[in-house]
Amino acid sequence: MPVSRRRFLKASGAVSAATATVTLAQTQGTLAADPALTAQQIADLAPAAAPELPQIAIIALNRMGYGPRPGDITAFNALGSTPSARLTAYVNQQLNPVDSQDTTCNTKLQNVKLRISYTKNTLPFTEDRALTSLNKTLAQLWALRDDPAYEERVRPVYEVRLATWLRAVYSKWQLREVMIEFWHNHFNVNAFADTKISVTLPLYDKLMRQHWGGNFRTLLEGVAQSPAMQFYLDNASNKTGGPNENYARELFELHTLGSENYFNALYDNWRDVPGATSGKPIGYIDEDVYEAARAFTGWTIADGSWNGSANFPNTGQFTLYANWHDRFQKRVLATELQHDQTPLQDGQKVLNLLAYHPGTARHLCTKLCQRLVADVPPQALIDRAVQAWAANQTKPDQIKQTLKVILLSPEFAEAWGQKVKRPFELFAAFLRATQVDFPPGGLFVDDNLSGTVERTGYRLFSWPTPIGHPDTATPWLSSNVMLLRWNILNDMLGRGFWRIPDASPAPFNLRGQIPASATTSRQIVDFWVSRLLGRTLASNLMSELYDFMSQGSGPDVPPIGDTADVTDRINYLVTLICMTPDFQWR
Amino acid sequence: MNFSRREFAVGCSTAIAALAGGRLGGLVFANPADTTPRDILVIVFLRGGCDSLNFVAPTSDQHYADARPDLRVKDGDPNTDTSSGWQMSNPLAQIDFRFHNKAKPLLELYQSGDLAVVHACGLTNGTRSHFDAMDYIERGTPTNKNTSTGWLTRHLVSIGADNGSATGLPAVAAASNVPTALLGSFEAASMARPTDFKLNSHWKYGDDQRGALRKFYSGDTALHSAGIRTLDTIDQLQSRPAPNPDVTYPPEARANGLKDSLRTIAHLIKMDMGLQVATVDYGGWDTHEGQTYVFPNQIESLAYTLQTFYNYLSAYHSRLTVVVMSEFGRRLKENESGGTDHGHGGVMLVLGGGVKGGRMYGSWPGLTQDSLDNGVDLAVTTDYRTVLSEILMRRLRNPKLGQVFPGISAYTPLNLVEGTDQAPDFTAGFSGKVYMPLVTR
Repeated sequence: MPVSRRRFLKASGAVSAATATVTLAQTQGTLAADPALTAQQIADLAPAAAPELPQIAIIALNRMGYGPRPGDITAFNALGSTPSARLTAYVNQQLNPVDSQDTTCNTKLQNVKLRISYTKNTLPFTEDRALTSLNKTLAQLWALRDDPAYEERVRPVYEVRLATWLRAVYSKWQLREVMIEFWHNHFNVNAFADTKISVTLPLYDKLMRQHWGGNFRTLLEGVAQSPAMQFYLDNASNKTGGPNENYARELFELHTLGSENYFNALYDNWRDVPGATSGKPIGYIDEDVYEAARAFTGWTIADGSWNGSANFPNTGQFTLYANWHDRFQKRVLATELQHDQTPLQDGQKVLNLLAYHPGTARHLCTKLCQRLVADVPPQALIDRAVQAWAANQTKPDQIKQTLKVILLSPEFAEAWGQKVKRPFELFAAFLRATQVDFPPGGLFVDDNLSGTVERTGYRLFSWPTPIGHPDTATPWLSSNVMLLRWNILNDMLGRGFWRIPDASPAPFNLRGQIPASATTSRQIVDFWVSRLLGRTLASNLMSELYDFMSQGSGPDVPPIGDTADVTDRINYLVTLICMTPDFQWR
Repeated sequence: MNFSRREFAVGCSTAIAALAGGRLGGLVFANPADTTPRDILVIVFLRGGCDSLNFVAPTSDQHYADARPDLRVKDGDPNTDTSSGWQMSNPLAQIDFRFHNKAKPLLELYQSGDLAVVHACGLTNGTRSHFDAMDYIERGTPTNKNTSTGWLTRHLVSIGADNGSATGLPAVAAASNVPTALLGSFEAASMARPTDFKLNSHWKYGDDQRGALRKFYSGDTALHSAGIRTLDTIDQLQSRPAPNPDVTYPPEARANGLKDSLRTIAHLIKMDMGLQVATVDYGGWDTHEGQTYVFPNQIESLAYTLQTFYNYLSAYHSRLTVVVMSEFGRRLKENESGGTDHGHGGVMLVLGGGVKGGRMYGSWPGLTQDSLDNGVDLAVTTDYRTVLSEILMRRLRNPKLGQVFPGISAYTPLNLVEGTDQAPDFTAGFSGKVYMPLVTR
């Protein structure tokens, strides 16, 4: 059932509706002539282009995960007798992943090899190595910093990246993977910015894995104390006398309150921020950032460097170093921090103030709804998510409780086509739907996949700014990115893309997946459209695909051409279906 | 419902573009509502820290001679002595400034009045890290390397040419990836060759796929518009003949990457693809050792390639501005390995029909110990943003300097390019962190 524009405008609230009026009026001369035109009227004037709302399985599998694998839709539909029963059951499953059931993914992770090559002691060195960094201890990872080979020092990043692809493509627990991607972006670090980040990325990833559905306050402190964040935002060198505010700044602006609660342009004095005099300021100003930076002085990492009186041990461990701590009183968000508190007390107090602030609840819930529902999420849904977030703020499953509210909401079930897959999601969905042997032969000679996808601007673990990848469609729809969305699908069909030896079997066997009963062009197209999209398309678009497959021989006979030709055409039929808007939405 | 009305509205310039056919007066405009004649800006970034003191050398400065017994450019006859440079008219501070011996083509451009040189310029932030310096310069915020957009992106945004709905190719990086100056751009495309912008497909089924995509993407959502725009750009590129004759580089132009990149940009300009800004990277300038072997080749390739590129585009000189810059200059004193370490003040070249060339610009700080930055490096007396601001104002006709370079509060042109000044707008317009402040929402 298509959702009408009318319904959307109602759901999205007066603010965006009003904005739509203004923007349309500015850009469309005819409409500008009548300033009294309401958003409603504009909506009615606009041509209807709403993609039809697909069955709930498609919505859930594409937005709580990276798209259906063969069999997923059937399994989803067996979960209950009504759409809402199925969704409820699926959400409950996904919120409670059982690792031992994830056998395919576990086996893949265990067996996959990623080649590493460099010159070692003047001799070429090559090894097809398993993902051994993933379970290394901090001590083992930290030691990699001293490896003379750059390839070894960044190896953990490549392994985490590859594991992320494998989990997106193979894990049963798709919601967990989507949420881990969310948290990595929310707490973004560029893993290549510093060796101390690159070697410890597996631990940073584990942190997200551990807390993806847990308690935000706990996750926040874990991030604050991680070597990755400590070095990415320079808190490791934040000391009294020369405080470094980089971490404190982003802690407010990105990790918790968000720039929508930054009121520096409005208020010069902390007292002027509404609510401040009763201890509950609605937002923050620069003073809060400066004072918070002082609170985090002495939070550092023992990296062997000089600490003023001796060298820190060279362990990579989080360390509280009192000599670097600013001992005097501070005031953060209109709350006094007494003098002579320990670094831990001061820092934790700031984290409490931020994590439990209503502005943080709203910032985080808006982002969650934006990830899981729509680029511009309905305000009413955000409001309900905020309630759940706040009500569970000290519970160990706060995030899961919030996710449940979002995922089981009518807004979730009724939204489609309000998000476009980002490149990572698109290609993961393609790999899932086509059952590629990923990586072909179990070996990545090099991770050309990540390298190629980076050309779209999706830089897994190396987004260059603390804000993380944008989560709205527009940045991913330039001509350049659109072309890559199409081209990389076709490129993946070629063995050159996968860098596999000539003797290996083809990475894709799409023809082999077609049931024997499907022999005509129409049947072949119908099979793949259903497999890839979980629904059919408008008849004129289906005709396009029939024409493509039949090449003029008519849809109701087997496709013309020799075996190789028909195989090629099936391959390019599949990529074509994945190039369509219907596959690109989530 | 698909995209919100807002998204649709944002995409409305597509609708206008469709009405205007995206072309006005034979030119493709990224934003068809914008008919301001703006120069095409080409930024050639010398990655690694180009030694400004050997590129444009203060040969008569005794401190220079003392600090560089082996590496300096001398003041003899460049025709017979390859260690001597080409003397420049209108130098700074009455010093005998000379182009490096291998940069003779640049002397010719300088003498013809199309090339200006700004010395002792660069980043006011004192970092000597390549990574940081490039970040600060290209993000255009010398105190903040977390800014999520590049300065060229913000220029495009502020003239309405980067809203995710441009026709043609307003911003191109002639490389495999988009540089930081175009960070956050919705429109920037990276391509090694114009012919790369095509649907990669099976030789037999590519046309069928393209044809089908046109049907699949006829619709009114932002996603549909993006698809059609992309297909249009492919068609435009495919339908335009490659420029004939092609650019022919002389043998002295040996840096293949630089040649290919500039060829790509020249082709896009001649194919009239709506290009507004283009970036080219030329690496290899981090000359910590053996500088006498590396540097002359680098300079020679740069000089000959740039001159050939510029002459090839002679019909476009009146609307072409080329800027050559690097992240920093190098240490005054040569090191023990026959090289120079990371320094500070650099040199910028500005080339174009609208350039008041044949002169040096800026203010020479001198090379005495106390005039050096940190006591060791050429000081920066001209902020690189001063040079770029003047180009933005006069050649790119964009007075929104505060949006491009948040935090600047003065417009002080060196008067190195022709053009008129509008009232500068120093409003930053948005927080450096907001991902994309494109349209009024």
